[in-house]
Amino acid sequence: MSDRIQDLQKSLSEGLPQCSVEIRRHGGVELISSKENLVGVLAYLREHFGYRHLSHISCVDWLEQNQFELVYILWNYESRIQLFVKVRLARVNGSGISVRHLWPQADTYEREIAEMYGLPFDGNENPRELILEDWDNKPPMRRDFDTRAYSKEAFYDRPGREDAKDVRSVISGRSGEEIPEIAIPYTRK
Amino acid sequence: MEINDKDTLTIVEHIKNFARRHSLFVLAYGTGCGAIEIPPTMTSRYDAERFGIVGRATPRQADVLLITGYLSVKTLKRVIRTYEQMQDPKYVIGFGSCTINGGMYWDSYNTIKVLDQYMPVDVYINGCMPRPESVISGFIKLQQLIKAGKADGWKKYQENLDWYRANQKKVIKNWNMPDYNW
Repeated sequence: MSDRIQDLQKSLSEGLPQCSVEIRRHGGVELISSKENLVGVLAYLREHFGYRHLSHISCVDWLEQNQFELVYILWNYESRIQLFVKVRLARVNGSGISVRHLWPQADTYEREIAEMYGLPFDGNENPRELILEDWDNKPPMRRDFDTRAYSKEAFYDRPGREDAKDVRSVISGRSGEEIPEIAIPYTRK
Repeated sequence: MEINDKDTLTIVEHIKNFARRHSLFVLAYGTGCGAIEIPPTMTSRYDAERFGIVGRATPRQADVLLITGYLSVKTLKRVIRTYEQMQDPKYVIGFGSCTINGGMYWDSYNTIKVLDQYMPVDVYINGCMPRPESVISGFIKLQQLIKAGKADGWKKYQENLDWYRANQKKVIKNWNMPDYNW
């Protein structure tokens, strides 16, 4: 297995000299591309390395470096080696490039990222909303979106249950029921 | 509720409540993870049908709406629409911690925390998740409330419709649903 991965790394480095290829973890190869080369790299992997299957497009919010990182997870059915293609994009006014022409299912992932991170994709303009409905706030999966503050403001709390304190004794006292002895060690102080 | 001069239920109400509590038709609709507890409750091991609890396919045939877990804002819109289509008398059972105080979704940006701010709840079943035994015990509690004439959430909804509607519209920004008029 590891021999085949090292062979793959070698042939990928030769075939794509502009990208850095590393073995990151067991059974996985990571390939870091630039935004300009991305579509070409993906098409090349698809045509010449048998990476016909796009498993997922994931997005990582690097708030401190002011960047988004897209991770294209590819799968080869013959060699059964997973490949991660990573690309860094500008966080402010940045945009990704759509790969719908290579894999039609990329549309769903791009819609999700556009909705959850606010990152538009060139070639996939004005995507329909996927999960959220009538959302008018900051994209919720961005790290600078404070979900706790938002939920405190938007939704009601049940009085007395705003924090994580243990209320089992209050509840059991209401019905005159005793907390069994085995449960007492798990009581939060 | 018809109350006679002795301040108790009339005999007609008693007969009505008897019929209602022994034929609880549950809408076959589930939100969140709790819906997975309904098949074991309905099938042979726990057999909820011996209490008259039967599934129904459409809101207009159903008496009981089960909210089986967390409610996202998107689902809340559909649930309100469903609830308003149901015929009176209708009952709501809140199912699991998520409907009571948000449960594990207490700081989520997209799920409501307290269900009875948005629709009237007759019985809450606590637990995450409640086992089929507690589901059936919740239904028995609902039957007792109906017998005593206290399961009148649907009347509260009609009387306090403005309050409920204001709460609903606070979270549902694009209110494009018909306004029912009782």
